[in-house]
Amino acid sequence: MADNIVIVKNLTKKYGDKKVVDGISFHVEKGEIFGILGPNGAGKTTTLEMIEAIREIDGGSASINHIDVGEHPQKVRYIIGVQPQSPAFQDKTKLKEIIELFAASYGEKVDPIAMLKMVNLEEKANEYVENLSGGQRQRLSIAASLVHNPKVFFMDEPTTGLDPQARRNLWDLVKDIQKKGITVILTTHYLEEAEMLCDRVAIMDQGTIIALDSPKNLIKELLGRGFKKERHVEQADLEDVFIDLTGKKLRD
Amino acid sequence: MKKSLYTITTFARLNAKRFFRDKLAIFFTIVFPLMFLFVFGALTKNNGSVSFNVAVINQSNSSYAKSFVDQAKTSKILKVDKKTTSLDQAKEKMKRSQLDATIVLPNGFGDVLKGSNYPSGQAVVYYNENAQQGAQTLTSILQQQFDVVNAQHIKLVTPLSVIAKSTQAPSLNRFDYTFSGLLGFSILGLGVFGPVNVFPELKKQGILRRFHTTPLRVWQYFVANVISQGFVGLFAIAALFISSVAFFHLHMKGSYLTFILFVLLSIFTIYGIGLALGGWAKNERQAAPLSNLVTFPMLFLSGTFFPRYLMPEWLQTVSGYLPLTPVVDGIRLIVTEGKGFLDVLPQMGLLLGWSVIIYLIAFRVFSWE
Repeated sequence: MADNIVIVKNLTKKYGDKKVVDGISFHVEKGEIFGILGPNGAGKTTTLEMIEAIREIDGGSASINHIDVGEHPQKVRYIIGVQPQSPAFQDKTKLKEIIELFAASYGEKVDPIAMLKMVNLEEKANEYVENLSGGQRQRLSIAASLVHNPKVFFMDEPTTGLDPQARRNLWDLVKDIQKKGITVILTTHYLEEAEMLCDRVAIMDQGTIIALDSPKNLIKELLGRGFKKERHVEQADLEDVFIDLTGKKLRD
Repeated sequence: MKKSLYTITTFARLNAKRFFRDKLAIFFTIVFPLMFLFVFGALTKNNGSVSFNVAVINQSNSSYAKSFVDQAKTSKILKVDKKTTSLDQAKEKMKRSQLDATIVLPNGFGDVLKGSNYPSGQAVVYYNENAQQGAQTLTSILQQQFDVVNAQHIKLVTPLSVIAKSTQAPSLNRFDYTFSGLLGFSILGLGVFGPVNVFPELKKQGILRRFHTTPLRVWQYFVANVISQGFVGLFAIAALFISSVAFFHLHMKGSYLTFILFVLLSIFTIYGIGLALGGWAKNERQAAPLSNLVTFPMLFLSGTFFPRYLMPEWLQTVSGYLPLTPVVDGIRLIVTEGKGFLDVLPQMGLLLGWSVIIYLIAFRVFSWE
């Protein structure tokens, strides 16, 4: 299938006797936002890190754009962007310098201001990274991951710890990235985030994938099995109230 | 290749910038060695002229005794403790080694006796057992002065005499050793203590790991760090050098070019140790004990704080092979002995040999997280 940009087959990671990732297989289509859901310790991050070529693959294989990750990790690094779980940057460094640094890692020279503009941080270009809020740091991190115009963009729990405004802002950003033709693979344990963003989701538990489909189909399938919520669902929830009261405007 | 060069220069440039924004790093790399320089420099400043701490107790009323006391007070050889006026006080102070000796001019010293036209008398030098050598030197100095006076009054025949003549050849004073040792200390500081703190911290925050997701290579990262640290190191060394020339009369006898090249090679070698330790350690707790283990022998045995010639021979031989020893020796040879490029080839050879070993290890053990 020419449209599959990421192909994962029987991927396995062992720590001692314990299989943290236990022979999972899936593929990601070009241009989609693919979510990996699961409780803490399900193996989401380990799965991502193996595909990102920073953790050794113990069994099975992964390929990105038909390049085998285990065999050609260096080639893979040129076509992926990685947003880690809690992005940190070396202190005493200005935002524009962070962008320069990341571009230089790929041997490329970019216009830092243009990159910062994309994530609404151009006004902070000359500030030090330690003065950023959590949401701003996430956005800077996204800009830093996209300096080389990657084909696939990995995000590990991008909205954990953000306030609702910053979270919504980030969702918009992810959709913008998708519009540029970049495939996005993200992990999350916020289900409404997955429902809102992802074209397809894989639900992981104890190192295996227990379901994989579009959010709509997964819900339909569950309802089809006669599932009924105990509580009557209101047309709005507390988050809607919060956003209605405080507005969508970013606070940082 | 061109892309690699851009990667390296960008990382090196931003690393160096970052250093000069970090007050704590500046303190430990530049100010701290300077403080050592001023402390050690002050300690060795009066070196070269021997002086004695003495009390002069004058029990005589003669004018000669008075003029002797006045002379003693202005003497360069004697440091007269003016507060001590009695022998008992003086003995107390000699017990505590605050005084080297006490000169007593007894009653009647310097009086002109009947039947002569010159003053006479016998001064007494009191000393404690442990100050015997100093007291004897002091006694002979006094005797010499008295001899001059004696000669003015009585014609003396001196068939045998001795006089001291300088060979004019300068020898190393203690500050020369202090200077090369302090430079060695400073290079050890910026080469090892810096990276051993920095890399584990970058790893803890996942910053290095993040770079690992990019095509950045370990060797590119190493070269960039070596360049920025070499640049920073030249600043630190320049600060020490200029202060030494300005405040402690250091005379630069060798060539500046040789000196700079040698310092850069030294920083390169010693920084490799820091890269290996910091690059290997996953956290500070791993880094600290091993870096102490590696640096302490060099700190004490490479001639940083006291000259190696004071050590027993076997220890001199062993410590001669430590990586920091050629650094200290080479700097001393170039700066204070005016030796040229070819003369320090043995030191440079040893440094290069260590570099090969150290950097091979550093590449082997480096981890991004």
